[in-house]
Amino acid sequence: MIRALGWRLAQAGMVAFLVAISSFLMMRALPGDMVMRIAGARFGYDNITAENAELVRAQLGDPSGIGAFFGWFSGMLRGDLGNSLVSGMPVSAEIGHQLGATAQLAGGAIVLSLLIGPPLGIAAGLRPGGWFDRLTLLLAAALKATPQFLLGLVLIVLVSIALGLLPAAGHGAPQHLVLPALTLALGLAAATTRITREALVQARQSDWWRFARWKGLREDQVLLFHGLRHVAVPVLTLIAAQFVALMEGVVVVETIFGWPGIGHALVHAVFHRDVPMVQGTALMMGLAFVLVNACADIAARLLDPREARQ
Amino acid sequence: MSLLTVENLSVHSALQEMVAPISLQLDPGQAVTLIGETGSGKSLFAQALLGTLPTGLHAQGVLSLLGQQVAIDNPTAIEGLWGRAISVLPQEPWRALDPLMRAWGQVEEVYRLVARSDTPEKATRAVLNALDLGKAGDRFPFELSGGMAQRLAIAAARAGGAKIVIADEPSKGLDLARRDEVARRLRIVPETGGALLTITHDLELAEMLGGEIIVLREGQIVERGPAMQVLRAPQAPYTRKLIAAEPRHWPAPPAPHPGAPILTATGLTVARGGKVLFSGLDISLHAGEVVGLCGPSGVGKSSLGDTLLGLADPAAGQISRGAGLAPIRFQKLWQDPPAAFASHQRIGQGLADLMALHGIARDRLPPLLARLRLDPALLERLPTEVSGGELQRLAIVRALLLDPVMLFADEPSSRLDPLTQREVIGMLTDLARSQGIALLLVSHSPDLIAQATDRQVHLNENPGAPQAAATLQTA
Repeated sequence: MIRALGWRLAQAGMVAFLVAISSFLMMRALPGDMVMRIAGARFGYDNITAENAELVRAQLGDPSGIGAFFGWFSGMLRGDLGNSLVSGMPVSAEIGHQLGATAQLAGGAIVLSLLIGPPLGIAAGLRPGGWFDRLTLLLAAALKATPQFLLGLVLIVLVSIALGLLPAAGHGAPQHLVLPALTLALGLAAATTRITREALVQARQSDWWRFARWKGLREDQVLLFHGLRHVAVPVLTLIAAQFVALMEGVVVVETIFGWPGIGHALVHAVFHRDVPMVQGTALMMGLAFVLVNACADIAARLLDPREARQ
Repeated sequence: MSLLTVENLSVHSALQEMVAPISLQLDPGQAVTLIGETGSGKSLFAQALLGTLPTGLHAQGVLSLLGQQVAIDNPTAIEGLWGRAISVLPQEPWRALDPLMRAWGQVEEVYRLVARSDTPEKATRAVLNALDLGKAGDRFPFELSGGMAQRLAIAAARAGGAKIVIADEPSKGLDLARRDEVARRLRIVPETGGALLTITHDLELAEMLGGEIIVLREGQIVERGPAMQVLRAPQAPYTRKLIAAEPRHWPAPPAPHPGAPILTATGLTVARGGKVLFSGLDISLHAGEVVGLCGPSGVGKSSLGDTLLGLADPAAGQISRGAGLAPIRFQKLWQDPPAAFASHQRIGQGLADLMALHGIARDRLPPLLARLRLDPALLERLPTEVSGGELQRLAIVRALLLDPVMLFADEPSSRLDPLTQREVIGMLTDLARSQGIALLLVSHSPDLIAQATDRQVHLNENPGAPQAAATLQTA
C-alpha cells in the first residue's frame, strides 16, 4: 500500500514536470504573435493596435521566451502558479474558483453514470444474449461512437428547445447541471454498462456463485451479498481509467453549455495565449488524474485484498 | 422415514438414454457411493438429483425428500431445497469460496439467510471453533491453507441444516493426508443422523466411506452391494477391471536401463517468493529413466521441476544439462490438461502453429497420434470437446513433437479416472523408456510412484534443512 502510494506520488511529480514543458512548447508552437493575442484579450479584438501590443510587451516581456518558462517553473515548485497574462490576477485564485465548478460537473457526471451504467449492466448480465443485453450493447456502441459536442447539441435541441424542460446553458441553479452532466454521463455509462455486464456474466459462471446457490442462497441474495462486490472492482478501475476521457469531455461540454469550469477556462486561455493559465489548468487536470487513480487504487485494494496481501 | 428415495431415475437426451433407471434409498445414517469412470453417468445422476442437468438433458423418475415428492423435471422446485434439504460439497473448495469475502461471512450468511437462525453469530462461532477455524474468521480464502478451505467449505455447505449431503469427487486433486481428512469429515455425516451420497472414482475413498456402492458404466448399473463385498469380492468383470486399474495393483515396471546422463544438479537450493523451500539437493536424470518425485503438498515439487527445466533460476547450486541439448528439449506436462490448451482454438490449429514455429515436418504428427491411440478427427475439436484423458495424451503428443530429452510431468493424471490414469501413465512411461526420454514424474499417490517409476526422489517438509541424505532412494 505504502509502496503504491509512493509510486503515485512520484507519478504526480513527473506529471507536473511533463505538463509544464509540453503545454509551454505547445503554446509556443501555435501560429500568431502571442503578444497580439494577449492584447486582443485585454483590450478587445477591435483594439489590437501596435501601441497596445507594445504596452503588453513592455509589461510582460516575451511570454514565449525560455526565461518566462523557467520563471513559471521555479514559481510552481514554490507553489506559486504565476499571474494570468490577461487579467493579471493570480492563476491559483482563478483556477480555485473554476475547479469547484468543474468538480461539480465531473462529480455529477460520475454519479449519473453510476446510476445509469451498472444497473443496466446488471440487468443485461442476468440474461446474457437476451434482447435487453443486445439492446444495451447497441446503445452503448452508439453512445460511445457519438462525439460529446454532438450529443450535447442534440440534448440541447431536444430537451431545452423542443421540450423546454431544462435551461440550455448557465450555472448556479441545480437544473443547470443536468444537461451537461448527462452529456458526459451517457458516454461514461456506455462503458460501465458493458464492464458491469461482463463482470456479472463471469461471476455467475464461477464456482463460488454456484456454491453460494448450493448453500441455499437465492439468486438475488448471491447477487446482493457476493456479486455486487465482484462487479464493483472492475467498475471502479474503469472510472479511474475513464478520467482522461472525462476531462476531455469537460473541455468540450463546458464550452457548449457555458459552464464556468476549468475546461472552459482552458479553452479561453489557449485562445488568449495566456500561458500561465494554460499551464496551471493543465497541471490541475494532470494532478487530478493522479489523485483519482490513487483513490481508485486504495478503494480497489479494500474491495479485493488479494493483490495487496500476497 | 427415509431422507431421500429415488425410484427409477433416468437421464435422457433427445436421442438416447444417458443413465438407465436407478433406484436408491437414503435413510438417516446411510452412505451410498457411486463409482465409475468418466462418462459412466455418475455425475449426471447427481446433477439430475440437484436439478442442474445441462440443457438438452432431461430426468425421469420419482424423487421424494423426507416423504415429500419433488417434481424431478422442474429444476426450480429442487433449487429451493438446496442448503435446506440437500447440501452439496464442492469439488475444489478454494474455487467455491467467494475470494473477496472473509471466512466468517461465508458461513454466517447461511445461518442468517438460509437456516434463519436467531443467533447466526453464535452458530457460526461454534462451528468454526469445532472445525479448528476459530482464529481464521477474519481471513480471506487465499489466506487459508487447502485443508482449512476444505473445512470452511464443509461448514458453509452444511450450515443451512440439510441432512442429505452430496459430495461430487470430493478427493479430486488432494494428497493422501487431505483425502483421509475429507473421508473422516464425510463419515461424520451418516454418524450424526444424516445421509451421504458420494460420487467418486477413488476406490480407496469409497472403501473408507463404507455403506453401499453402486458401480456404473455407460449409464448402466454394473454391480451394487455393501462396500466391502463389492471391493473385496467383485462379481462383475468391469468392477474387477476398475480395481485392477488402481496404482497399487499395477504390475511392476521393467528393470531400468538408464542411458547417458541428461541433467545433473548439485547442491540445489530452490526458493519461492523469498522463502527457501529446500536446499542441498543433488539429483541426476538419465536417458530412458523414469524417476518419481514425492513429497507433501507445498514442499516445492513443481518449483524443483521448473528449476530443472530452466524455467526458474535456482537460489544456489549448479545445474548442468547434456552438451548440445537445446532448452526447448526440456518439456513439461501439466496437471490440468484444459488449462494447458488455448480454450478457443482448435487443437489441430495449436499443434500446426507449434510445428510452423519450430519448423517441424508435418508428417511427424500422424504417427505420434497413432502411437498414443488418438483419432486424428480430435484435432478438429476444441479442448472442451474432448475428454480429459484424450487431452492429456494430446499434450504428450505436443511435447513429443519437440523431441524432448527430458519431460517433467507434474501430477499428469491426478484429474483422470483410474482407467484413464493407468492408460496415460502407461503410455507415458513406455514412451520414456523406448524413446530414451528422462521422465520426472510427480504424483501424490505413493502407490502410483512405486509402481510406475524406476527410482524415487523424496522432498521433505523441512525448509532449509540439508536434504542430501534424504534425496536419493533407489527402488
